[in-house]
Amino acid sequence: MLAVWAAKITEKVSVHVFHRQGVTWAGKIALRICPSILRDLAGQVKKDIFIVCGTNGKTTTNNMLCAAMEAEGYRVVCNHTGSNMLNGVAAAFALSAGIGGNLKADYACIEIDEASTRRVFPHFKPDYMVLTNLFRDQLDRYGEIDITMNILKEVMQSAPEMKVIVNGDDALSAYLAMDSGNDYVTYGISEQVTDDADSREIREGRFCKCCGAPLSYRFYHYSQLGDYACTQCDFRRPDIRFDAGDVEIGDGLAFTVEGNRIRANYKGFYNVYNILAAYAAMRTGGLKAGHFNEMLSRFNPENGRMESFRIQNVKVTLNLAKNPAGFNQNISAVMQDEALKDIIIVINDNAQDGTDVSWLWDVDFDRFKEDKIRSITVSGIRCYDMGLRMKYVDIPAMSEPDVEKAIRQRIADGCGNLYVLVNYTALFSTRNVLKRLEGEK
Amino acid sequence: MEKTGKKIVIGHLYPDLLNLYGDRGNIACMMQRCIWRGIDAETVEFNTGDTIDFSKLDIVLLGGGSDREQAIVCGNLLKIREQFREYVEDGGVVIAVCGGYQLLGKYYKTEQGMIEGLNLVDIYTEQEEGRLIDNIVLKSDLADMPVVGFENHGGRTCINDNKPFGKVLYGSGNDGKSGYEGVVYKNVIGTYLHGPLLPKNPQICDYLIRKALERKYGPTELAALNDSQEEAANAYIYHRFVKE
Repeated sequence: MLAVWAAKITEKVSVHVFHRQGVTWAGKIALRICPSILRDLAGQVKKDIFIVCGTNGKTTTNNMLCAAMEAEGYRVVCNHTGSNMLNGVAAAFALSAGIGGNLKADYACIEIDEASTRRVFPHFKPDYMVLTNLFRDQLDRYGEIDITMNILKEVMQSAPEMKVIVNGDDALSAYLAMDSGNDYVTYGISEQVTDDADSREIREGRFCKCCGAPLSYRFYHYSQLGDYACTQCDFRRPDIRFDAGDVEIGDGLAFTVEGNRIRANYKGFYNVYNILAAYAAMRTGGLKAGHFNEMLSRFNPENGRMESFRIQNVKVTLNLAKNPAGFNQNISAVMQDEALKDIIIVINDNAQDGTDVSWLWDVDFDRFKEDKIRSITVSGIRCYDMGLRMKYVDIPAMSEPDVEKAIRQRIADGCGNLYVLVNYTALFSTRNVLKRLEGEK
Repeated sequence: MEKTGKKIVIGHLYPDLLNLYGDRGNIACMMQRCIWRGIDAETVEFNTGDTIDFSKLDIVLLGGGSDREQAIVCGNLLKIREQFREYVEDGGVVIAVCGGYQLLGKYYKTEQGMIEGLNLVDIYTEQEEGRLIDNIVLKSDLADMPVVGFENHGGRTCINDNKPFGKVLYGSGNDGKSGYEGVVYKNVIGTYLHGPLLPKNPQICDYLIRKALERKYGPTELAALNDSQEEAANAYIYHRFVKE
């Protein structure tokens, strides 16, 4: 009980006094006071605990799953802010508990950083794991994808009762689910939606994880997601239980699953996977999804994922992009807006971003040549690297290390349609600047 | 830019397996710095199993991959070892980064076993506990500017009596102890630096281009380019990590 109080106070103090994300501190203090707090509170969840893992789409999928459950009338514990390491997970439970230390929750939806699963699983064993995808991300922190896969396999096997809800279009994730021995269900898209055959995009896992022979693809959706089969052994894309059909991608998204037409007012192919993953998790958990479309129409992630701001009649769209697969998808989403635009790209190299920025060269920035762009400005700690990245695809870019100055300049002299693409630690500071400018008269 | 009538062909070896850490940036940099000077440039990719005619290549890039992928590549490389050796001994230009650097040597010993190398340069690599991961700054005889980049490797490379690529001013280098990074042998540079290496180190890029042109066309002067952006990016890393 003391731990719950301490967590609540810490969170309030750090958010209101220090104006920063206080969630991690709160979790750290709660665990320090009561090391068993996470086990105790997780044990009080009445029905099931869902966790979401995978390189991209964790926060959106997890928050959407939470919103979908709440729309069906359930009480849900969720780490909304995306604090997904052990302290963030502990904080989500502690902050949801009553002051008496009791948790009134039917479900928990928790996203967990892949490398942190090892530290979280000793506290509780989830009932379901959603595995979204595996892309290269922060090679300096996690090492190679192989290392992440080994960690996930280990935790899956430590929770043999946990059912895995896996993206069947990703050969790496699907292999992991099959290899773990855990029960699994799949979601995916069995029809070709875009023509991605000529893309120069870096694709992971071109080789069969079972036998090492090359995989052959009937088509790609993006990155290595698609319909694959091994050229040597019987490894192939598994049968898809939750299959999205009649997929429309444009200003909004639509697809059909289990005979239901799902519609959302977001951009970006990747959001089809996020929505589909949340839907598949709901249904696998035995819930009805009668209010799913209603939830989607209200759903506002408010966390820098295609978040809109209006500043002095300029439409500003903020979007997080922290690895090549995510950034390439962001570029596609920006290009779906056919209007003239200004773009600011903010790149930091703090510990949480990954101190190695070489991944910028694995992003297909040259595609911006085909877009209607008035200006590109590079900003953040590593703006010079980003500037060179643009120079070597012959796209002119202005440099302004200070994010606020860069935004003010483009608000003043831009075309009224501004996209701000940021990596992880740049997200919070940039979002604070945009919120403040939105409030200024 | 007026055409010089000259042409450079870059062979990118095994991009299907060795494509970590922005190797494409090294290709883009070499291509553009030729094109901006009116030198035609072409990149030919060779995937595993393809036949490689080294006599048609002026620069060879061997990039980085994971240990598992490196073991797959190794089998393919051993088949072309003799032609590759002739190319190197004839003064062919090679830039080998990370995993590619390790493959130049006699062997790479990992926990999982021994990966036999190309044995083009008398060096060898052994895996040790802990990866060496950080920004890195060197002073190299091949450039006036410092050389800056990022390193991320578990292997420790011993270069015997060979000439290093540079002296470490910040970071770990070949083994974290010797104070040196990389190797230079004839027109081969082997290095752990990615980031990628060449865009922030335009003098190293020009060194490779000049060596390739000289081998093909005789003595060559490269036209100067406006490198103010490259210099700013380089200086930022240098001043952030090297205390004067």
